[in-house]
Amino acid sequence: MLGDVRRRDPVALGWAVVLLVVLLTIAIGPLFAQDPAHIDPLVRLQGPSGAHWLGTDEYGRDILSRVLGAGGVSLGLGAVVTAISVVAGTLIGMYAGFYVRADGVVMRLMDALLAFPPLVLAIALVAFLGSGATSEVVALAIVYTPFLARTIRGTTLALRGRGYITAARCAGLSGTKILWRHVLPNAAPTLLVQASFIYAFALLSDAALSFLGLGVTAPTPTWGNMVDEARPYLMQEPGFIIFPGLAVVIVVMALNYIGDGIRNLVDPRSRAVLDLERLRRRTPATTDQKEPARA
Amino acid sequence: MPAVILRRVRDLVITLVLVGTIMFFVVHLLPGNPAVAMLGTFATKAQIQQLTHALGLDQSLLAQYGTWLKNAVTGDFGDSIGFQEPVTHVVATHAGPTALLAVVTTVISLVIAIPLAAYSAARPRSWWTRLLTPVSVFGIAVPNFWLALVLIIVFGVALRVLPIAGYVSPVTDLPGAVVHLVLPIIVLVAGQAALFVRTLRESILAELLQLYLRTARAKGARERVVILKQLLPNALIPLITVVGTSLGTLLGGIVIVENIFVIPGLGSLLLQSINSRDYPLVEGITLAIALSYVVINLLVDLLYVAIDPRVRIR
Repeated sequence: MLGDVRRRDPVALGWAVVLLVVLLTIAIGPLFAQDPAHIDPLVRLQGPSGAHWLGTDEYGRDILSRVLGAGGVSLGLGAVVTAISVVAGTLIGMYAGFYVRADGVVMRLMDALLAFPPLVLAIALVAFLGSGATSEVVALAIVYTPFLARTIRGTTLALRGRGYITAARCAGLSGTKILWRHVLPNAAPTLLVQASFIYAFALLSDAALSFLGLGVTAPTPTWGNMVDEARPYLMQEPGFIIFPGLAVVIVVMALNYIGDGIRNLVDPRSRAVLDLERLRRRTPATTDQKEPARA
Repeated sequence: MPAVILRRVRDLVITLVLVGTIMFFVVHLLPGNPAVAMLGTFATKAQIQQLTHALGLDQSLLAQYGTWLKNAVTGDFGDSIGFQEPVTHVVATHAGPTALLAVVTTVISLVIAIPLAAYSAARPRSWWTRLLTPVSVFGIAVPNFWLALVLIIVFGVALRVLPIAGYVSPVTDLPGAVVHLVLPIIVLVAGQAALFVRTLRESILAELLQLYLRTARAKGARERVVILKQLLPNALIPLITVVGTSLGTLLGGIVIVENIFVIPGLGSLLLQSINSRDYPLVEGITLAIALSYVVINLLVDLLYVAIDPRVRIR
């Protein structure tokens, strides 16, 4: 399996390794790094140095340890949002796709939620819920659940017509048992692809919300509010702004590549497209040849 | 065709009523009295009571919902507390810059994405083609607020060639407007163009598997003609849908970009009204943005029906 992946999609595998390294650094790094809350006014707003690898912020706090600490908060928050959206979206999508009677009402509600631009809905929800980690998680989960519900409903609808579902029904299995034993395992690959994209979106939204001062606020560092804190000092110490943003870029790029990689593994259509691209790259395509002179 | 339109419009009305209802209950069911939030920490009990009554918050939830629905149908979303004007009026006066950003971004993104994707289909072995995927994934992954600040550092602070904030109406001063729009538009285009390139590349590659291309080649058509005349029109169809659906992401990006570049559109108005706890205005702006998003997607879907005969069968 892993060898297969390495051959088919080395780029996605590479990014998976990058993500793993980032996760490990964020998990283990703080044990060795300085206290992210340690204030040292003597060294405020300094560039990278031996003592502070990524420099210091306006209170003389070490940016490296703050980026690592913020990583824990941001990635954890995104993971909770993704987990809630996946569980809620799967339940709603599966039952709506399987029970026609529930479908109309539930999916209309999901459509209504999808009618809001995601970030705008998140901003409005957090505005009414009040800022903070809990309300941010609730808001983002409300925003992303409908996306998953819609996809899983589609998958369930497609699976419902399959022979083995009919067979299970004839064998007298209850709807719930069919859903959990036969539909869920077959929807799992789609779920995995969606989850990695939702995680990427959730990280970007979390960064945006906390940048706007609506999500997790200081003193708890997140990648988003670190950029916001750095904003007044962008002329004095640009590095202060660069690193937390770069962290978001790397993780979100990794998640996108991993999502694509899983999709190429499980979706025959996108695999065919990928193979075609490889083939065209390897052999000189007709387009690269000189066109024969036309008579 | 008319039946399709009627069905879609009916769906739209149902969605909008639900959207409004969701907003109403979000505002009214959440813990805390909006009147308290609006007046701040130093309000007296009498003041709170007065505002609670004025806002109708002392009535039953169902009665409040009835009043709200009746007013909403007639286009009355109450008065903004900060502006002391009808919400609809405040929203209308701020919609211009937001619409301008959305339209310009979409047009430029399409102008960039279509040739790039077509080129990469025609030249699969070129280095530009190989670079296209990483660059577009980067475009999708980069947080727009961060890109905006990095561009401000480079072009506004270090090179001093572009203004770092502000908005000039293109009606009064077109060159000034263009100069002020360059950075915000670059930020927004980065995400949109990347998304369009990815969608289009995928659909072009999927389309390459089709047999009609072989037929065209067999009939002696030049490769350029095959790609531009046969493949591209078919591959563009999925892009139409993405232009509509990605408008949601774009509108979110516009909120942030307007905030950073101090552009007086709906996005900065939304954040401003949140900070001043002007809840009727927050509700109105959110509904207005959702309304335009849904209506544009309806138009996109209808366009889709007009262009692609296969959809009409359903």
